[in-house]
Amino acid sequence: MSPGSYNGGAVVAMIGKNCVAIASDKRFGVQMQTIGTEFSKVFPVTEKSYVGLPGLTTDTQTLQEIFRFKANMYKLREEREIEPRTLSKLVSSTLYERRWGPYFVHPLVAGLDKNNQPFICAMDLIGCITETCDFVVGGTSEENLFGICESVWEPDLEPEDLFETISQALLCSIDRDCFAGWGAVVHVITPERVITRTLKSRMD
Amino acid sequence: METNIIPRKGGFNFDNYKRNLFLEQKGLTLPKVTKTGTTIVGALFKDGVVLGADTRATGGSIVQDKDIIKISYIAPNIYCCGAGTAADTLFTTALISSQLELHRLTTGRQSRFNSAETMLKQLLFRHQGHIGAALILGGYDINGPVLAHIYPHGSSEHHPYITMGSGSLAAVSVLETRWTKNLERQDAIDMVKDAVEAGIFNDLGSGSNVNLVVIEKNKTESLREYSKPTPHHPKNCDYKYKRGTTAILKESIKDLVVVTDGEAMDIS
Amino acid sequence: MECLIGIVGKDFVLVAADATATSSVNIFKTDEDKSRDLNKHIIMLYSGEAGDAVNFAEYIQRNVRFYGIKNGIELNPKAAATFTRRELAQSLRSRKPYMVNLLIAGYDITKTTPHLYWIDYLGSSIEAPHVAHGYGSYYTVSFLDKHHHPDLTLEEAKILIKKCIDEIKHRLILNLPDFKIKVVDKDGIREIVI
Repeated sequence: MSPGSYNGGAVVAMIGKNCVAIASDKRFGVQMQTIGTEFSKVFPVTEKSYVGLPGLTTDTQTLQEIFRFKANMYKLREEREIEPRTLSKLVSSTLYERRWGPYFVHPLVAGLDKNNQPFICAMDLIGCITETCDFVVGGTSEENLFGICESVWEPDLEPEDLFETISQALLCSIDRDCFAGWGAVVHVITPERVITRTLKSRMD
Repeated sequence: METNIIPRKGGFNFDNYKRNLFLEQKGLTLPKVTKTGTTIVGALFKDGVVLGADTRATGGSIVQDKDIIKISYIAPNIYCCGAGTAADTLFTTALISSQLELHRLTTGRQSRFNSAETMLKQLLFRHQGHIGAALILGGYDINGPVLAHIYPHGSSEHHPYITMGSGSLAAVSVLETRWTKNLERQDAIDMVKDAVEAGIFNDLGSGSNVNLVVIEKNKTESLREYSKPTPHHPKNCDYKYKRGTTAILKESIKDLVVVTDGEAMDIS
Repeated sequence: MECLIGIVGKDFVLVAADATATSSVNIFKTDEDKSRDLNKHIIMLYSGEAGDAVNFAEYIQRNVRFYGIKNGIELNPKAAATFTRRELAQSLRSRKPYMVNLLIAGYDITKTTPHLYWIDYLGSSIEAPHVAHGYGSYYTVSFLDKHHHPDLTLEEAKILIKKCIDEIKHRLILNLPDFKIKVVDKDGIREIVI
């Protein structure tokens, strides 16, 4: 049993045409027992950037508090919102600082920058950034998500098409993962609005 | 509680170390980190040095990233290839690069290869091999072109051609066959490209494209994706889902205020 | 192994904790109260290593009380749960971590809503309509999942929790002869006997 599969969870982020989407399952469990079904692993940091923190839940929650604090301090100091790329460096250096006593999370950052250019990236638990221009995945369904995203993702998806693609990719992946599932939530971030949808999914 | 939220000045933080030991004792196994699983190559030629690397990052047997940049900037005249734990190579080179930048601003002189090499090896030695960065450092300073490799424990050696990483066994055969003294620029580039490709095709930890950096006197050229030996074949048809495929339970839309700069105030 | 159960109803939270104090293979007493009132509308149930649990519960209790005295306004259940989670997560990074599992039940008097939080010794915290800690949870979670609904009245909840306790007494190999049951609502915290 690894810390990553103790509580379970899956997060995926994708880039579309002038938009990004980030989605998460909602299960919270302790090993094989499901305790809650309203626990999304994706949190907003600014209006247009979100961070997903699948992994050991205690660390998910501690880091969420830390990042909210650091992003708010950044806003006060710089008098502007943190950009998603800067946010990813903040997350990365926070994790690498704990190189030999890491937080057990697999963070994803997704957002639109000040020019509304899409940005997504993933990190390992010690902050090695993987920045891509298609999709990033994390959590217990990581391998499933890699497979299906590689197949269904395509460039320049409009927000509504991106929503369908990311939703189906997530739902299919968590159906084959015992540790994730029990509901899902998707955020589609466009320059004009953020659309948050709760998906109907299998509850087993 | 406040002590935990005051920003730290730097250095590593071991707060979680005890807890993670405790979790390990409870039977949890530590998760994998991203490795470069690399083929990196460097070679001297007549009046410069070529560095080459593949672009695959792995986590266990999963390809985490198909297009990672493994040749890091150290100074305008010094670059560094990294193999090993990806986070370690990236942060180590970034740290030394920033220290050298400050040093250049203080002294107003070009960075010396030896400074970079010594700073890197002292950092690695200080951490006794726990920072898993295996580096090939290449540069051109007042002493001409230089090439060195630095091991995670902090030892370093200068060689005319070097390869490291899991694909080094494949790459070294190309270098041993083709390297000669005073190679021409293009011959050196071709040789390094072929050496990295040997790693890409014959080592499972290496893959995707070849990135090169050529450093010469007062000139550094970065050749990203110099060779793409494994092109991705586009799908003939697409799998686009029809809109409305996914059943939704709840929807909330947050409209964002679009702020545009107005006319400048007339202050004449 | 100890057992804590919580059920959120329409305008209250019903919680139950087994009343058995054990050490090694011995039962010391069967009327132990494994809870502390954090303030008038928040109760914390604890289980875990005997010394740790009481010590931690009282530490949290006093800090939450102190907050109320200092600021003239009481913490709401969510704030109390967040504070407790953070303290537990912090303690886990120390030489001797607290091995405590908790339920925090409260009634938010400003929003007039009942809340129930489940917190484990690692510092994971979630809010849920019905939760349980300990071996008893294997029976009660599935049972409550089937029978719980958002408009649960106190009478219905009493029946549910009685059935949960009966099931634990019936099926669990361990002897848990008695439970202390408490309800939190707009009027505060009180013990009830079923």
